[in-house]
Amino acid sequence: MGKLKKTVLYDGVKYLILILGSIISLYPFIWVVISSLKNNNEIYGNPFALPQTPNWGNYVQAWKGAYVGRSFVNSILVCMTTLAILIIITAMACYILTRVYQHKILKGYFTLGIMVPIHALLIPSVLIFKFLHMQDNLLSLILIYVAQNVSFSMFILSGYMESIPKELDEAATIDGCTKVQTFFRVILPVAKPGIATVATLAFLNCWNDLLLSLVIIATPAKRTLTMAISALQGSFAANYGLLCAGFVITIIPVVIMYLLFQKQVISGMTAGAVKG
Amino acid sequence: MKSRRTAFTIFVFLFPVFIIYTLFMIIPLIQTFVYSFTQWNGVTETTFTGISNYVKLLQDKDYWTTFMNTLKLVGLSAVIQIPVGLLVAYLLYCKVKGMKIFRTIFFLPVVIAPVAIGLMFSLFYNSEIGLFNKILAAIGLGALQNNWLSNVKTLLYAVMAPQIWQYIGLYITIFLGALQSVPEEIIEGAEIDGANKLQILHRIIIPEIRNFIVISLILSVTGSLKSFDHSWIMTKGGPGVRSAYLGVYMYKTSFVNSDFGKGSTITVTIVLLSLLFTILLNIINNKYSD
Repeated sequence: MGKLKKTVLYDGVKYLILILGSIISLYPFIWVVISSLKNNNEIYGNPFALPQTPNWGNYVQAWKGAYVGRSFVNSILVCMTTLAILIIITAMACYILTRVYQHKILKGYFTLGIMVPIHALLIPSVLIFKFLHMQDNLLSLILIYVAQNVSFSMFILSGYMESIPKELDEAATIDGCTKVQTFFRVILPVAKPGIATVATLAFLNCWNDLLLSLVIIATPAKRTLTMAISALQGSFAANYGLLCAGFVITIIPVVIMYLLFQKQVISGMTAGAVKG
Repeated sequence: MKSRRTAFTIFVFLFPVFIIYTLFMIIPLIQTFVYSFTQWNGVTETTFTGISNYVKLLQDKDYWTTFMNTLKLVGLSAVIQIPVGLLVAYLLYCKVKGMKIFRTIFFLPVVIAPVAIGLMFSLFYNSEIGLFNKILAAIGLGALQNNWLSNVKTLLYAVMAPQIWQYIGLYITIFLGALQSVPEEIIEGAEIDGANKLQILHRIIIPEIRNFIVISLILSVTGSLKSFDHSWIMTKGGPGVRSAYLGVYMYKTSFVNSDFGKGSTITVTIVLLSLLFTILLNIINNKYSD
C-alpha cells in the first residue's frame, strides 16, 4: 500500500513538472499570438484576456510597414535558392567522396567549417563582396549561406550515403549507367531522407540568421525578415500589437515546417551530438 | 578512355562546392587571422602592426566587460541548461503518457529565430505592458516588480534569460535520445537490486551517457560564446557595453566604429576560446573514461 502511494505521488510530481515546463515553453508564444490580435488599449488594460474582437489590422499594417511583406518574399527567395544550390552541390561531392573517389584529406577539409562561428566570416566577406562589386546583393547572401552550411551538410549526407549499399552502384553500372546517371537516377533518390534532414536544418539556419544579412544588406527593400523585424522594433516600439503581428509573421513558416518535418528537424539539430 | 571520363566527372562534381566553400569560408577565415595583426578602417591603407591589437585589447576595459559578460553567460547556460535538460529528459524517459507531445513543445523554442525570441522578451520586460511585472503582481510579489532592461542590476541577466530558456529543449532532446540508447536490462537489473530512481540516475545513467553530457556542454559553451542576436535586439548591447557579449562588441567595433583590425582581433579571441573550451572538456572527459 505504501509503495503504491509513493508511486502515485511520484507520478503526480512528474506530470506536474512536465506540465509546468510545457507552460513555460509554450505560453509566451500563445500570449504573443493573442496580443497580435489586440489593439494597444486592450494590451495595456487586460494583457491576459482574449481580444474582444480580433483586430487583423495589425497584420495588414505590419505587412506593409517596415518592408515586412517585401522581406518575407526576400527571405523565402534567399532560403529556397540557398537550399537548392547547397543540396545539389553537396550531394554531388558526397557521392564522389563516399563511393567513387574516397579522399580523406578532402573530406577533412570540407568538415573543417563545423567549428567556425559566423563572426569569423563577417569582415572578410564584406570586403570580398565589395571587391566583386556584389555588396548589398541578395546573391552574395545566398553564396555565403551556402558556404556556411557546406560542412554540416557534407557531414550528415556523407554519413547517410555511406549507409547505402555499394551493390546498388554495381547493379547500375552493369545496367550501363555512367557515374553521372548512377548519381541522378539511383543514389540521389535513395538519399532523400538524408537530404531532407540537411534541407530542414539549412532552412532554419538561413531563415533565422541576422548577423550575416545585417552586414551584407543595406537597402531596406532587400532586407531579410529577421532584419525587418529588428527594424520594426525601432520604428514601432510602442505599437505592441503590431510588433506581435510582425513576430507571428516571422515564426509561422518555421513553426509549420517544424510541425511537418519534426523528425528531420530534431535529427538534424542533434546530429552533431549523436555522431560527434 | 573510361577512367578519363570518370576523372572528369569527379572534377565536375567536386568543383562547385570546393570553390564556394574555399572562397567564402576558408579564405575569409584566414583573412580574419591576418587582419587581426593589422590596423585598418576599411578605407585607408592597411598597416601591419604585429601583435599590438592583442596588446591593446588586453588593456581595453570594454573588452574585459564583454568578456566577463560572455563568461557569465557560458557559466549560467551550462549550469542551468544541462541539469534541467537531463532532469526533464529523465522524467520523459520514465514511461510518460504523451511523451512525444511534451518533446514537441519543449523543442519548439529551439527552432525560432533568436531575433524573434529577443523581441518577444523585450515585450515581456516592458515596464508598461510587461508580462513579468503583471505576473509578479498577480501572485502577490508586486514588490519585486522591476524595470528589467533599465535597472543595471537586472539588465545583464534579463538579456541572458531568453537565450538560456530558448535552448533548454535542445538538451532535453539530446539527453532523451541518449537515455533511449541505454540498454534497458541494465536499468531493470538495478531496479531488481532495489535501487531507487535517484540512485539509478546517479550511478548508472549518468556514467552511461557521459559522452552526451560532454558534447552537450561543448554545444552550450560554444553556443554562448557566439551570442549576438538576443543582446543586439533587446539592448544593442547597451548602455555602453553593459549588456554586450564578445560577439556584439566585435560587431560594434567593426561595423559601427569601422575598426576592422580590432574587430578581427576580437573575433580571433572568440574562435580561440571556443577551441580552448572544446579541448579542455574533451581532456576532462578522457580522464574520466580511464
